[in-house]
Amino acid sequence: MKTKFIKRAAAAGLAATMALSMAAVASAEADYDECTITISWWGGEDRHTATQEAIAAFMEKYPGITVESTYAAWDGWEEKMATAFAGGTAQDVNQVNWNWITQYDADGTTFLDLNTVSDIVDLSQIGESYLEMCQIADTQAALPVAMTGRIFYWDKTSFDEVGIDTPKTYADLLAAGEAFAAYDEDYYPLALGEYDRMILMVYYLESVYGTDWVIDGELQYTQEQIEEGLNFIQGLEDAHVIPSIQTIAGDGASSLDQNQKWIDGKYAGIFEWDSSASKFEKALAEGREFVVGDYFPDFGEYQGGYTKVSLAWAINGSTEHPKEAAMLLEYLMNDPDAAKILNSQRGIPVSASALASADEAGLLDAKTVEANGKVLAWASNALDPLFEDSRLKSSDGVYYDVMAGLSYGDYDVSEAAEILIDGINDVIGG
Amino acid sequence: MAKSSGTAKMAASKKKKSFGEICKKNIGFFFILPWLIGFCWFKLYPMASSLFYSFTDYNLFKGINVLGTLQNYIDVFTTKKIVRALGVTFRYSFITVPLKLAFALFIAYILNFKIKGVKLFRTAYYIPSILGGSVAIAVLWKAVFRDDGLLNTALGFFGINGPSWLSDPKWAIFVICLLRVWQFGSAMVIFLAALKGVSNDLYEAAAIDGASKWRQFFTITVPLITPVIFYNLVTQLCQAFQEFNGPYIITQGGPRNSTTLISLLIYNSAFKQYDMGMASAMAWVLFVILMIFTVIAFLSQKYWVFYSDDDGGK
Repeated sequence: MKTKFIKRAAAAGLAATMALSMAAVASAEADYDECTITISWWGGEDRHTATQEAIAAFMEKYPGITVESTYAAWDGWEEKMATAFAGGTAQDVNQVNWNWITQYDADGTTFLDLNTVSDIVDLSQIGESYLEMCQIADTQAALPVAMTGRIFYWDKTSFDEVGIDTPKTYADLLAAGEAFAAYDEDYYPLALGEYDRMILMVYYLESVYGTDWVIDGELQYTQEQIEEGLNFIQGLEDAHVIPSIQTIAGDGASSLDQNQKWIDGKYAGIFEWDSSASKFEKALAEGREFVVGDYFPDFGEYQGGYTKVSLAWAINGSTEHPKEAAMLLEYLMNDPDAAKILNSQRGIPVSASALASADEAGLLDAKTVEANGKVLAWASNALDPLFEDSRLKSSDGVYYDVMAGLSYGDYDVSEAAEILIDGINDVIGG
Repeated sequence: MAKSSGTAKMAASKKKKSFGEICKKNIGFFFILPWLIGFCWFKLYPMASSLFYSFTDYNLFKGINVLGTLQNYIDVFTTKKIVRALGVTFRYSFITVPLKLAFALFIAYILNFKIKGVKLFRTAYYIPSILGGSVAIAVLWKAVFRDDGLLNTALGFFGINGPSWLSDPKWAIFVICLLRVWQFGSAMVIFLAALKGVSNDLYEAAAIDGASKWRQFFTITVPLITPVIFYNLVTQLCQAFQEFNGPYIITQGGPRNSTTLISLLIYNSAFKQYDMGMASAMAWVLFVILMIFTVIAFLSQKYWVFYSDDDGGK
């Protein structure tokens, strides 16, 4: 009884705080200049539609502010934006990747310090620990939209066709490789591209050794340990758990979700961000069942894997309309109407007000909620933002070279480990 | 006083006249001024900048330091990845340029005959050149060359197990080459115009002397259109060495860098690694290579190109 009362009191207190802070924000927003501001993001069709709808609602709420949008799919987007950031021609409001903050805003000038517009943007809606992840050079460079992590997803229909259950353990996964090979050589229980392999290897090693991949700019794993991780990945390929890189390249698809073998269920599993798995589900042929998997307890003693900021919103440091850009940012992050339109298009929102609004309206995608819950409950390691530096993860980067080289047989495990360590040290060492 | 005023007027009139004359004399310069401004701003200045950057460690997000050495150029010739890309670029150019020229000339020769529906064929053969390196072409090419694509399916009917065109480093380069050769339309149109300029009298005389069509082609047609072959050779060579779209949209330089041409590597270096200094050095090396080939082509002209004012050629 007492607990119930405390919970109610806390909820009322939180609601009152939210209402007060939003009222303060509303008064700051009361006068604004008529102007045109610009916004950019990348994503799939659903995200484009939802974001455009939210922007239209914003323009209706604030007549006089015109918002011009630039958006596209991910391919080539980072190169385009990096050049825009360097040349000072980026849009006023930009959807940014978490690692872009360290990569493009090291001195805190590329993006506007959001503390300077905190009378408009309600920073209190976001937990302090999440805000800290987007801080650099004593500035609040961006606002995180959601937290995300990688988790397994399975095409259950394929597993039903093969006659086995979806894997719950590493042993199950290896057995699935054998069962899929026996069913049809073209069928695999899991498909991983080069970068997916890298992330899975880190998850495996963190499960075995319990240490973060990089701490304070130093790689925490030895050559032998990394060789063990690479052997693990190569072992999956040898055991017919994952197709070779050559097989995936031969499929001629620009991404895994557009791969016909994924669509048809020949590739029956992925290891994907919970915030972007929905596009894989949508790509599946009609009637196929897409389920969220579990982390494997028999990888090692520890709960490996990490969570990170899925995406963030930042304001261009040289915007001519910081106030109006901040109003748009506030709308997209915290406004209840926007939350209902955007729901979980960018993952489960970390903004308390957005989460409450979308959740109340029952608009959050059930599978995204399930996967995000599992990720946050399991993954215990921290991620260094430089892990995602484009010099490492781009198709021209070290991760691709090492994972593809190993799969093609150009490198042995020892050579691959050495190249990986050198490449990582080059980047994290500045 | 009146005299001095008259002298001043005459001097002013002379001065005025000379200004007008200057304008008249340099009217050509005024006409090309817009182009000159554009050239200086959009070509000369970027080229000069990139030459300067090639001697620096300019990183888009880390600033710039003048190296004061040829380090970037030394790296171009000692970095395995870059040397390999240069090798792939040479291979690509030496495969595609002769093939494209031969194919364009062959089709132009056929389309020069009076055959039914020739205009339709000319248009149809030109279309691939307009499509260029678009997303639609990437989708089409992948659909044809993927492991279970149209080509391997067709080969399967004859009991041939086709290779992995897109994922086997040995074969992927040919997929990219084929895309370039397929886009032979612009060279074909130029050849066609040249073929139209060859007088029919020559063919009639040769026919009376009993020359076969092949003989006529090699002894009349080819020599008379060598200036156009030369023009196409130089332009195609320049384009092939600078090719970017094909590998970018279809293979992204893979598998295992087997289709990474130097221009793709320049792009990656500049816009993925942000190493503008190295990218500029690579661009200048490419420029010098192109200059060398162009100079060789121009010097070789006197041995095989026949101009109408050569008095019968060499």
